[in-house]
Amino acid sequence: MATLTLDALNKRYPNGNAALLGIDLSVEDGEMIVIVGPSGCGKSTLLRCLAGLETISEGELKIDGERVNEREPAERDIAMVFQNYALYPHMSVAENMAYALKNRGVPKPAREAKVRETARVLGLEALLDRRPRQLSGGQRQRVAMGRAIVREPKVFLFDEPLSNLDAALRVQMRLEIRRLQKRLGTTAIYVTHDQVEAMTLADRLVVMNAGRVEQIGTPMTLYQRPATRFVAGFIGSPAMNFLPLEQGAAGWRLPGGACLELEGFEGRPSSLGVRPEHLRESDAETALFDVRVELIEPLGADTLAYCRLDGTATPLVVRLDGARQLDEGERLRLDAGIDRLHLFDAEGRRLERRSLDHGRAPLLPLSASL
Amino acid sequence: MRYRRPGLDLLSHALLLLSIAMFLFPVWMALTAATHTRAELYTGIAPLWFGGEGIDNFIAVLRDPVGRLGVSVSQLLFNSLVMALGIAVGKIVIAILAAYAVVFFRFRGRMLCFWAIFVTLMLPVEVRIMPTYQVVSDLGLLNSYAGLILPLIASATATFLFRQFYLTVPPELLEAARVDGAGPWKFLCDILLPLSKTNVAALFVIMFLYGWNQYLWPLMITTDTAYTTAVVSLKQMATGGDNLVPWQTVMATALLALLPPVAVIVTMQRYFVKGLVDSEK
Amino acid sequence: MTTFQRHRFTPWLLLAPQLVVIAVFFFWPASQALYQSLYVQDPFGLSATFAGLDNFIQVLVDPEYRRALGVTVVFSASVALLALSVALLLAVLADRVVKGARGYRTLLVWPYAVAPAVAGVLWMFLFDPTLGVLSAMLGTLGVDWNHRLDGGQALALVIIASVWKQVSYNFVFFLAGLQAIPKSLLEAAAIDAAGPWKRFWTITFPLLSPTTFFLLVMNTTYAFFDTFGTIDATTGGGPGGATRTLIYKVFEDGFVGYDLGASAAQSVILMLLVGALTLVQFRYIERKVHY
Repeated sequence: MATLTLDALNKRYPNGNAALLGIDLSVEDGEMIVIVGPSGCGKSTLLRCLAGLETISEGELKIDGERVNEREPAERDIAMVFQNYALYPHMSVAENMAYALKNRGVPKPAREAKVRETARVLGLEALLDRRPRQLSGGQRQRVAMGRAIVREPKVFLFDEPLSNLDAALRVQMRLEIRRLQKRLGTTAIYVTHDQVEAMTLADRLVVMNAGRVEQIGTPMTLYQRPATRFVAGFIGSPAMNFLPLEQGAAGWRLPGGACLELEGFEGRPSSLGVRPEHLRESDAETALFDVRVELIEPLGADTLAYCRLDGTATPLVVRLDGARQLDEGERLRLDAGIDRLHLFDAEGRRLERRSLDHGRAPLLPLSASL
Repeated sequence: MRYRRPGLDLLSHALLLLSIAMFLFPVWMALTAATHTRAELYTGIAPLWFGGEGIDNFIAVLRDPVGRLGVSVSQLLFNSLVMALGIAVGKIVIAILAAYAVVFFRFRGRMLCFWAIFVTLMLPVEVRIMPTYQVVSDLGLLNSYAGLILPLIASATATFLFRQFYLTVPPELLEAARVDGAGPWKFLCDILLPLSKTNVAALFVIMFLYGWNQYLWPLMITTDTAYTTAVVSLKQMATGGDNLVPWQTVMATALLALLPPVAVIVTMQRYFVKGLVDSEK
Repeated sequence: MTTFQRHRFTPWLLLAPQLVVIAVFFFWPASQALYQSLYVQDPFGLSATFAGLDNFIQVLVDPEYRRALGVTVVFSASVALLALSVALLLAVLADRVVKGARGYRTLLVWPYAVAPAVAGVLWMFLFDPTLGVLSAMLGTLGVDWNHRLDGGQALALVIIASVWKQVSYNFVFFLAGLQAIPKSLLEAAAIDAAGPWKRFWTITFPLLSPTTFFLLVMNTTYAFFDTFGTIDATTGGGPGGATRTLIYKVFEDGFVGYDLGASAAQSVILMLLVGALTLVQFRYIERKVHY
């Protein structure tokens, strides 16, 4: 039970490389924060700084309002679940779970009671005497969780804990982690590169890129109103389509010639984003995109069509209903609702609409005419 | 998949068995010689089969002072044992600690220490034998167990091997231990040492053999035969001046001197092979 | 990797025993060797005069030293080549038979545990001019064996005893090396219609070359130093210096003749030789191990 505050955290390595640049974050008590980003974005480094496994170069880290920058990992009252579980190979499951308690001087009977209770919650009772190498991947993962839970720490830190599991187990453990964390009400920081995991687990998501925070918010906020082109491209699968915009005489031109009249936006747009699942087939004269289907991926419920804007090399991915029969080479007319279009400026920042209530549609698709 | 050729297989087995017999031959001849009296031995060429003495010669050398040496072989074997154990245990303990410092700590002068230790790998004791003798003599350690053991601990092979092993320990284990509240000593005792068990066993075998089989060093620093080792004593027995060499005694002593290390290598073969092959890769 | 960074004192405590031992018994003697090699001492060790490189020059022009160098080269080359080829042959056979390879290893590995001096004494008995079995056998073939008088025979004796002990070491490595070769490679070669003989020389042997190279270095160092016991216990460097290797001469000049300057100069030369050998070996190890 704790709050966590990061104030302008910086991490620089002795060789001058900066891994974290001005990270600000304030975590509520009992909240599950998921940090997500591509590999090398600094998310693991950030977690290790929180754990005390890496030193913080500048800024302040507070747990429950107390500065802990200089404290050893053990003194921060945190527990960590590692990607490869880091179970002690020569200790039984029970010994693995009891080790931290033993180091804190918890007497043996209390230790054993706690281990047994945690094992019961996680369904590990039958495995308590086994060694890690006698366990399956999923069981090891569970033991690693147990080792963290048994301590009743202030904060859980998860470092890609599910990435070594197969897909089915990953889904199951994902649900279990969420259930346990809610039940225990312990503040948790969870690092992953898997955006499905991120979306499903998080109370709030932190998207990182190149050592900086791109955006912090609930999963739906990030999905619906990504603050940057990077976030827009990272959250959602398949990724958002981006199309370059060029200013022409009749408004903003898309590749292939379609023109848009854009008004009511702050700043100067440079690209247009639209998610594959928000594109719909349309017969309207004013449909935004004329495309030719290049490749089809039937997924059952949906079908992904990899297309190119007619007469250009600009790719566009669209997700259509699985019932729709498509042929490669087929031409489609696609459209999306105005509120489903995202505009970004040259720096990749989101352009917000100033207001929604003026006389005509702020965004008027024109027929594709040259 | 293999291309079975029964004829070739048979030939392989035959050749291997023949070689094994050839390797065993010197030991066999020593064994037969040790069961004869000297008079019997010198009636012709060495006998291929056992004589009537049984284990009498062995008992005699173990019990009574042998020839010019003035000490019994039991004493020699005891000296060898002290030396071999001292070197093996000493090297392993020192190496575990030093390698731990070099791998798991970052401190000023770390690389200097590493290189200082590393350099000792290049020069076996034989090369610096004279000055080492003088140092040991200056320290008053001639004819002492400390003098037998300490200079041979001064090479860092074991330190280097432990370093190699520590580098293969997943760093997450240290991190997990730190999160679990283990300091440097706890991590060493609770995690690292239990994980090193096989390596310790392997190194023990190698270092025990190394210590037991030393020759030049004990030869130089033990003028008092009460500190001579079994291996060194053989020459003094075998070059018996004008008299005929008492081969039955020499061979009994030789067999007693080779028995402990051979027993160690055969019983701990698994660790020995692992230690040897892993460490040199 | 993470390390303990906040402990300034602990690492020094951990390193202390190692550093003390190598300082007293390694660096001090090694620097003494260097120092002595540059000075001439009077026979009573009372005074020393700086001699520059005189000791080295004297050593290098000394015909006895050159002879010892020659003996060392012949001895080491013979030991290394014989021990390597016998071990390779045995390892190939043991690897072939699959069943029982471990048993053969047990039956072949034990000579490694035998002290060089003991090995020497065992073989000296077999070749004893009066009652040795092998010398008697050679006698019937018309060879008059007496290694106490014949330098060539003495050298042969120490070579045989040294090889006998070293084969087991090489065998362990060759067998491990052979068993590490992916069988699919040999299968591919068999599909490409290479016979067993050709398979060995075109696939197996090249893949073993790192092991072979490593063993060559190890066998050379073994022949240089560890065989001191074999030589001293059997021939004592004789007859007439026929088995006096470099290390034996260091011992004789320093310990028996008490010519410290010459002995130290020889030590330094040996140090350089061994240092070079070790560097070669570590370059090879570093290439194979990544951290």
